[in-house]
Amino acid sequence: MEKITLPERPGWRAQAEELGFTFADMHGEPYWDETSAYRFTLDEVETMIEDPATELHAMCREAAARIVESEELMARLAIPEAHRDLVRDSWRRGDPELYGRFDLAHDGQGPAKLLEYNADTPTSLYESASYQWLWLEGQLELGVLHAGDDQFNGIHEALVARFAELFAEDEQLHFTAVAGAPEDYATVEMLGWAAREAGMGAHYCDLDKIGLSDEGQFVDDESRVIGTLFKLYPWEDLLRDPYADHVAPSGVRMLEPGWKALLSNKGLLPVLWQMFEGHPNLLPSFFEDDADMDAPGMDRVVRKPLFSREGSSITIRENGAVTEASPDDSYAHHPHILQAYHPLPVMDGFRPVVGAWIVGQSCVGMGLREDRSRITQDLSRFKPHFIRG
Amino acid sequence: MTHPKRKRSRTVAVGILGAASFALAGCRDEQVTAQAFPDLQSCRDASIASAEMSASDCDAAFAQAQELHVQSAPRYDSRELCEEEHGEGSCGTEAQAAGGGSGSIFMPLMMGYLLGNMMSGRNGFAASQPLYRNLQGGFTNASGTSTFSTNAGRGNMSSSQFRTPPTTVGKAPLTPATVSSRGGFGGSGGSRMFGG
Repeated sequence: MEKITLPERPGWRAQAEELGFTFADMHGEPYWDETSAYRFTLDEVETMIEDPATELHAMCREAAARIVESEELMARLAIPEAHRDLVRDSWRRGDPELYGRFDLAHDGQGPAKLLEYNADTPTSLYESASYQWLWLEGQLELGVLHAGDDQFNGIHEALVARFAELFAEDEQLHFTAVAGAPEDYATVEMLGWAAREAGMGAHYCDLDKIGLSDEGQFVDDESRVIGTLFKLYPWEDLLRDPYADHVAPSGVRMLEPGWKALLSNKGLLPVLWQMFEGHPNLLPSFFEDDADMDAPGMDRVVRKPLFSREGSSITIRENGAVTEASPDDSYAHHPHILQAYHPLPVMDGFRPVVGAWIVGQSCVGMGLREDRSRITQDLSRFKPHFIRG
Repeated sequence: MTHPKRKRSRTVAVGILGAASFALAGCRDEQVTAQAFPDLQSCRDASIASAEMSASDCDAAFAQAQELHVQSAPRYDSRELCEEEHGEGSCGTEAQAAGGGSGSIFMPLMMGYLLGNMMSGRNGFAASQPLYRNLQGGFTNASGTSTFSTNAGRGNMSSSQFRTPPTTVGKAPLTPATVSSRGGFGGSGGSRMFGG
């Protein structure tokens, strides 16, 4: 992996705006940043990202199978007691998964390390699957990239194929996200396009407008019954909402399925370490209350709440002292896990994290984000990548 | 593991339309022209001056609306309950209103029908729909999903208005409300965005 300075495509900002990519700049800072790009070799992509991520997803499925059989683990992952059957049943029925994103620390030298799995509500899908692709095609056309350069980005095609595999043609799917969040909405719309391309009907409804019929089925803002609901809303929150009791009786098919609550949870990390200790792509991880601080690598640890997004409420502790903390502590009241600290590479002053996209059960693409800070947060930048060599 | 030679998609969806327009781009149903008639005769009268429909279209649409009325009109277990929804004098027993059935189940009288152009012959859709009185002095369809201020006139509306309503024959009488609550999702997460 190397970071290469490249000319920006002339007029890309106007293009981004025209395409509805309104958050290409955020908080007065660039979010989409094409002043440079990451270059990978094909072998590096396939052997260090793609295959390990596919394997990690298979390991996560094994972990889910174990967790659903253990009341103790369900409790440690803070799955509300009232809804453990919902989670358990979704796994036992084999409810299918749609997509997810592993965040990996990758420097091109040793094996990539799993930082966490955004298995339930991963965003940045538009940037990864679509805008990054446009960048590559544009730079190929301009001659900035060379004929034969490629990108690890089969995300869109894989999503179309996955929808076609899961649903009959003409099936009507509903998509929901919290109102007024353009980044979340962009991800949902990408999924809606893929579903339509696969032959389904895609309907969008804001999360807070979903209703319940007197027959106990969920309905959209036009009072139409919801049969399948893709929700860009975390299970850990959903299971604490008033409507949680109605999910199972309603018969609604949920995407992601309920068992993804076990994988998007940082409690997954210590479970994986228990099951696959020493795996090259895993970092030593423990529940905070029974952490083995003498285990190798635990002199420097990252403390993460079970539920956290965009780097919230994370601290880095080195030899017992907090050396870095993310300012937002909105998740701080949750239980925590400790994960051995693994430094991200520093490339030109920034630290990249590789997002490895899973669709169905296979890794099908990647997108990189980089941050100046050691904790990747919502001010990080999205960076395009290409494959050469 | 085997890998495809080309690592990127051949096509992608390129743009984000935003919540409002995404709905228009296909999430929202297509718009169709619809006309409402209080009875068969007014439709036939209108057909004389119309290039779009004939008297026999009126007959066919009226017959279909009547059929849907029998199958799908809301059923109530008392006249009182029915009149609470549809207004005084707007209800009859199933035997009266549908020309057969139970004397102890009540349903609204058909007060007109809605005729949608181009909707016939499509699976799951009906070319016409029965109309019923609602409490506000306007009209509603069998599933109660839309209201109309009048039972005469024309306008554009969503093709979903012509979906075949779920059948109520032989099922337990409907309770008055279709949607019993809204807003039960989203409370636990506060106002932040949810993706990660």
